[in-house]
Amino acid sequence: MSRLGNFALIIGLLLGFAAGLFYSWTINPVEYIDSSPDSLREDFKSDYLTLIASAYVATGDADRARARLAWVQITDPASTLGRMAQSRLAAGRPEAEARALAQLAAMLGERPSPLIATPTPHGAATTTPLPPSPTFTPTVTPSPTLPPTATASAPFSLTAKGDICDPALQETQIQILVLNAAEHGVAGVEALVVWDTGQSTFFTGLKPELGPGFADFTMQEGVTYSLQLIQGDGLETGISAKTCTDGDGEPYAGSWLFTYQQSAAP
Amino acid sequence: MGTTSRLLFGIFIGMLLGLLFGWLIRPVEYIDTAPEALREDFRSDYVLMVAEAYVVDRDLELARYKLASLGSHPPLNYVIYAIDFGVENGFNTIDLQTLNLLAVDLRSIPPAPEIG
Repeated sequence: MSRLGNFALIIGLLLGFAAGLFYSWTINPVEYIDSSPDSLREDFKSDYLTLIASAYVATGDADRARARLAWVQITDPASTLGRMAQSRLAAGRPEAEARALAQLAAMLGERPSPLIATPTPHGAATTTPLPPSPTFTPTVTPSPTLPPTATASAPFSLTAKGDICDPALQETQIQILVLNAAEHGVAGVEALVVWDTGQSTFFTGLKPELGPGFADFTMQEGVTYSLQLIQGDGLETGISAKTCTDGDGEPYAGSWLFTYQQSAAP
Repeated sequence: MGTTSRLLFGIFIGMLLGLLFGWLIRPVEYIDTAPEALREDFRSDYVLMVAEAYVVDRDLELARYKLASLGSHPPLNYVIYAIDFGVENGFNTIDLQTLNLLAVDLRSIPPAPEIG
């Protein structure tokens, strides 16, 4: 009788445990209505990151953008945002989104430089609430140092053009480097490439590891291109693959680098 | 204690343990949530980001589209919730003005005509 009783107790425990799990996992599971951005579905997370970039471009508040990015918990945000900008541009999303992502990526990808880390013109601290945190305590943060940006109304001019004969470069490219008057790379500058049968635009800053002012476009062999910065004052025509020769004297297609700089504000 | 009593007692204790395990120790994890499930402070910051972008681009349709991710309520409601949250939690004046500008512009949109 005692053994039968113990057996019944064990069976009861197992049945009850199974029923409890079924109820708590399937019928009435814990509902997370207070989730954080890192738990968002991938597509919503992309939209969230784009929103962070748009807000950053609107406010120039780098500290806040960094805090917001921290909640999303992505690895290597600069590269991720750069890739996202390219993919969203390819998917036909608004160019403003790609430009914003590029600017944010460029800001994150910048290495600290004593030349850039100068005091802000308005050095007074401002009271800025941190973006939401578990307690959302307002704190005092210094005014952010904005990433290099173009001076409104001052166009970019071509200052240098050079060929790139690098056998390691697997594609034939038009590369551009866009600098502001202080010779800092400028992200989010749009370039237009036109050829006989089409045209395309690309932006600086989508590859933050190469600097905020860098952008490239892959050329096709035998096609001649024209290049113009949307905010530039000149048009470069007749661009095609440069013929280079390797160490064995074998020819291969080389690339071009165009450097633009903004004139100093009067 | 009889066999039936032991069985019922076991079921009762087992259920308690099952609930404890399923709700507290290892609850269901949702890893693919939508913005509407965001916690109130994150949701308010989401609205603030929309408002910050709106101040520059002035694209009210785009702002409404972004706010629609937060749920089925009218977009204006989310902005009002965010303002309330901001007032209670010490948002600075600029943030509150930014939210207010979006709220005012959303309020200026005439309501959709009722059908029927």
